[in-house]
Amino acid sequence: MNTPTPRAKRHAQTLWSWFWILAGVLYFVVPLIATFDFSLRAKKDVLTFLAYERIFTDAAFWRTFSFSLQMAFFAIVVSILLVVPTAYWIRLKLPRLRPMVEFVSMLPFVVPAIVLVFGLIRVFSGPPFRLTNTFAGTNVLLVAGYVVLALPYTYRAVDTGLGAIDVRTLTEAAQSLGAGWGTIMFKIIFPNLRVAILSGAFLTLATVIGEYTLATFIVGNKAFGPYMSLIGQNRTYESSSLAIISFLLTWAFMGLIQIFNRGRAEGHLAGAR
Amino acid sequence: MSFLTLVDISKTFGATVAVADFNLDIEKGEFVSFLGPSGCGKTTTLRMIAGFELPTTGNITLDGADITFQPSNQRNVGMVFQAYALFPNMTVAQNIGFGLQVRKTPPAEVRRRVDEMLTLIHLEEFASRYPYQMSGGQQQRVALARALAIQPRVLLLDEPLSALDAKIRVELRLEIRRIQQTLGITTVYVTHDQEEALSLSDRVVVMSRGRMEQVGTPYEIYNYPTTEFVASFVGQLNLLPIANLDRDARSCTLAGQPIRFEHSGDRPISDTPRLAIRPEEFWLGDGQERNLLRGRVETLIFLGAIIRVRVDIGDGVLISADLFNARSLNLPRVGDEVLVSFPVHACWLI
Ligand SMILES: Nc1ncnc2c1ncn2[C@@H]1O[C@H](COP(=O)(O)OP(=O)(O)O)[C@@H](O)[C@H]1O
Ligand SMILES: [Mg+2]
Repeated sequence: MNTPTPRAKRHAQTLWSWFWILAGVLYFVVPLIATFDFSLRAKKDVLTFLAYERIFTDAAFWRTFSFSLQMAFFAIVVSILLVVPTAYWIRLKLPRLRPMVEFVSMLPFVVPAIVLVFGLIRVFSGPPFRLTNTFAGTNVLLVAGYVVLALPYTYRAVDTGLGAIDVRTLTEAAQSLGAGWGTIMFKIIFPNLRVAILSGAFLTLATVIGEYTLATFIVGNKAFGPYMSLIGQNRTYESSSLAIISFLLTWAFMGLIQIFNRGRAEGHLAGAR
Repeated sequence: MSFLTLVDISKTFGATVAVADFNLDIEKGEFVSFLGPSGCGKTTTLRMIAGFELPTTGNITLDGADITFQPSNQRNVGMVFQAYALFPNMTVAQNIGFGLQVRKTPPAEVRRRVDEMLTLIHLEEFASRYPYQMSGGQQQRVALARALAIQPRVLLLDEPLSALDAKIRVELRLEIRRIQQTLGITTVYVTHDQEEALSLSDRVVVMSRGRMEQVGTPYEIYNYPTTEFVASFVGQLNLLPIANLDRDARSCTLAGQPIRFEHSGDRPISDTPRLAIRPEEFWLGDGQERNLLRGRVETLIFLGAIIRVRVDIGDGVLISADLFNARSLNLPRVGDEVLVSFPVHACWLI
């Protein structure tokens, strides 16, 4: 009579599932709450948004944030124009190279950013490039670096998106209808990768916006990452509020991805039935 | 000269010979099927006509012009795929109009033509649906309309019905034939389904291992197969071991029982000739000008309109006889001794 009935067993399993979910939530949420709480204590004994006010009224915040936003924008555009045709071509014509390209796209995870940045500076500061001599040049270098940093995200997202459509047959269908490569790319491939491209773009944005290492060595305090770091070193409460702000921004990006995904997911899962 | 001509076409992929010695003339307005088992090179041949593969040797001419090296997007050849391949980001109307838009056709003309196509496939009220909102059969109709909208010189279909349910398959098969006849469009149809090929085509090309086995009307292919492969791939066939062959007297024995035959096939007969008979040629009982066989019923399979009886006629030889299921049929039971017969003119040597 001591063996638990199947019903009781199921019940216990459910309880344990809830326990682990709760444990997970606490692990992520407690530090957030603590940070948030701390960020409200800029004045003694009262809860206040003073720290947030100071951040939002700081000209440097807006300057660095918009600079990083611009860098992110260019990084996104460049990586899409680079990655989509490449991933498409590999799926269409060189499927055997796919594992290799996937490996290469992962390299930014393996090579530390600090190594990357010194490599970039060494190669591109001398002739024939001399990119580090001008502001425009350093911006170009930073965008290029971000394209590399974001490669694992953009390539994965785009390649997964391509996997969800029958690239070869769609291409051939378009060709038989008279379409050339440009039409195929912009009328068929890009529109069907909208979700994938957006996910890649938002992930790139989330990565780039607070990026520190590349930014600090290539453009210095102009970027948002170094600004956050500066605040973190010098301003106790503001650093916490900044952490919360950037956290909310990241979540907003993620939320946007979800919204776009839901809007279009149905259409994408319906291939050949 | 024929409308579409394939001369000495072959295609190899590395060490694989996908297609070899392929020669075919297709007339304008003709419906030709490539029939054969999976992997026999049907798709590869079709893709060479479409321009997706370059032949290793040979030439393809269309309407008097050599198109062997012409890019696929300049051939004006319509293609329908097994997996429909509708553009997921476009509505039905946009899908159908795509080819016209690529050709920079004026919008009013595109709309007119799309409507015309929608009427042709009986999907007028689906114009603004997306592919994922439609059934497989509907999607394939749209794919057909999309291929036809550009008024292609040739329509190519690669197993267009294979992904559909049996019932829809038969329905759409009739539809394809109707549309093809209405437009009088030259059509090449790939299938592994003999019923499809026989019921749709003006001519059938039976293929095996990259080679053409026989080309002919469905009637010729079924009734006068020239090779053993065709005889056994198209329809059912009894291939029975014979002895005491006397070619001049046109006689032999089958499991010790005497057999007469009328013709011995068009080709030289192999070293170990066998007797070929379609299962539907058999009767229970005797008749005029028929070969009579005595045996014991081994199995009876009920197939609806047809009852397939397997009869052991001795020496371990089994024959398969298809009896038409009528109420008047006096059906034997398993183990019964029976007499079956078939017309002397209905058997041949392979
Ligand atoms: N792209 C390719 N690369 C290598 N082998 C191929 C390729 N396409 C087809 N083949 C081979 O050519 C032969 C014929 O294929 P296919 O034309 O697709 O046959 P079917 O359509 O009759 O089933 C098969 O053995 C197949 O494996
Ligand atoms: Mg095939």
